[in-house]
Amino acid sequence: MRLLLLLAALVAVATCTETFVGHQVLRVTPQSDEELQKVQELQDLEHLQLDFWLAPRGLGLPVDIRVPFPSLQAVKAHLEASGVSYSIMIEDVQALLDVEQMEMLRSSRRLSLNTDTFNYEAYHTIDEIYSFMDMLVAENPNLVSKLEIGRSTENRPLYVLKFSTGGTNRPAIWIDTGIHSREWVTQASGVWFAKKIVQDHANNEGVASILETMDIFLEIVTNPDGFVFTHTKNRMWRKTRSKNSGSICVGVDPNRNWDAGFGDAGASGNPCTETYHGPYPNSEPEVKSIVDFVKSHGNIKAFVSIHSYSQLLLYPYGYTETPAPDEQELHELSAKAVAALTSLYGTKYKYGSIITTIYRASGSTVDWTYNQGIKYSFTFELRDTGRYGFLLPAKQIVPTAEETWLALKVIMEHARDHPY
Amino acid sequence: SLAMELPPSNFPAARAAAVAVGYLRYLRGGPGRGLELRELRRARRQDIDDVGHKYCLELELEDVLDKGRTVSCTAEVLYHLGSKTSAPDVQISVQGELRSTEEADQEFYNQIRSLEKELVAENIPDSHGNVPPELEPIHLLAWVASGYVIWQNSTENTKFHLAQVKHVKQVKRSDEDLQFDYVLLLHEMVSQEVLPWEVTVLWQPRRGARVSR
Repeated sequence: MRLLLLLAALVAVATCTETFVGHQVLRVTPQSDEELQKVQELQDLEHLQLDFWLAPRGLGLPVDIRVPFPSLQAVKAHLEASGVSYSIMIEDVQALLDVEQMEMLRSSRRLSLNTDTFNYEAYHTIDEIYSFMDMLVAENPNLVSKLEIGRSTENRPLYVLKFSTGGTNRPAIWIDTGIHSREWVTQASGVWFAKKIVQDHANNEGVASILETMDIFLEIVTNPDGFVFTHTKNRMWRKTRSKNSGSICVGVDPNRNWDAGFGDAGASGNPCTETYHGPYPNSEPEVKSIVDFVKSHGNIKAFVSIHSYSQLLLYPYGYTETPAPDEQELHELSAKAVAALTSLYGTKYKYGSIITTIYRASGSTVDWTYNQGIKYSFTFELRDTGRYGFLLPAKQIVPTAEETWLALKVIMEHARDHPY
Repeated sequence: SLAMELPPSNFPAARAAAVAVGYLRYLRGGPGRGLELRELRRARRQDIDDVGHKYCLELELEDVLDKGRTVSCTAEVLYHLGSKTSAPDVQISVQGELRSTEEADQEFYNQIRSLEKELVAENIPDSHGNVPPELEPIHLLAWVASGYVIWQNSTENTKFHLAQVKHVKQVKRSDEDLQFDYVLLLHEMVSQEVLPWEVTVLWQPRRGARVSR
């Protein structure tokens, strides 16, 4: 916690609106109803200006309270008089340059014990997302399981959530987010999608009907090494973190590393560039693990790889101007999916093949999956169109996820209704 | 010469539109006005022998500080043949009036002039997309600066956006101008590179911005 606050303090902001010098964060874990009540009483004492980082939820669950310096005596006295024990988690909340930074930090770091209290409106670290996945599985053991399909270059597990109501090797839909680590709205949307699938199933609406006959696979942090790097060192990191022999430059573009037009125009052979295709196809474990999974599963019917930004829905090809044989169907399906997306908040999307709509790109994910016979292969580029770009404000996470989900449902329903 | 209508979803049209918007931000943007492309309505391309490729565009823009309405624009972007060193020629005309920024500009000017210490800031927006409200004018002035850089450095094979203001430092001057030295991160869509660019902006109300470096 301390480290997080220190980091926040180091983020330079021009003006100072409030300081937290002398504030302390106390932790109370009520063990009885009386203790719980005493702590809840504190919430009503507005003049103390207490800030509950972790609100009272029940017996045995920690309550974290930021107490301004002038209120410290009163709060400690109240607790001690009732025999409620507390510990001092943070002795002196460091001065922060911006109250908003603190708010954001608090809301995003708020420890969550279940997926109902998880904050979907904030960006999270890899540990928080992995913890979310475990909670989701624990809460829904009959629907959700977690698969490890491989390990990254830096030996981080590559986790895929499987949503299934049964059957054996049912036709399946694959969704991945975060293959490019700096595209933070995508991993955040993936987390939201996971919860949404569970909710729909519980309420027997939305994708519940799809789950009757199909499975959904969701890889939320498809490039974990890159993702950690964006949190710790460079927010603009895109690629994997593999070492390139003979070069000081690190990383391969995981969306140029697939075996479809590999190395052709539309990728770079220079390891120091952002679209470096790598030494050979599937050199990246992040890519190879998905290739192996898709091949051994053998029954994936729709494959959606999610990126940001530009507000586009794209289908193959990127490596050639030759139209995909199913172009007409994919184009019409894209039109429907985009219409559904736009219907929610008016967000405008363009759609078309990769090579006509955005640029020539070789070795890209959905060109490979399409050539494997997965007809409904799509790439999304989510919000926005450049105003914030990769640095999309957190308050746009949920609206982005909600609208994108409508488009995904159109694609999934079409895949279900048009078996091949 | 050959002329053709382009679907607005095709990337050559989108790239030309980004140049036009960059140019317009440079000309008409300021701490109180941030122009955004809402929609590319129509695009035509003309290949002019021995000259280059000219894109004629119909754009719909909005001012992020005046989001209730949109402004129509026509623009011509001419990429010179074979030229890696000369900026595209841009002509742009705005239909109707843009919302006045006189008051906001004067307020910003007075505010900055009255600062005791020179303003310094970094990472606008921050990793989570936040821009503190008091830094929004500095952010919009960076759009002016990046607009200039984008216009000057674009080709048919590039599409730039401002990714982040990495650093900005005010430099106090003895004349009437405000001076801000920016380090901007520009994201180039085709290569996917994020490139740092140092830009100095001079600005005062009514005179608008001038960019150097």
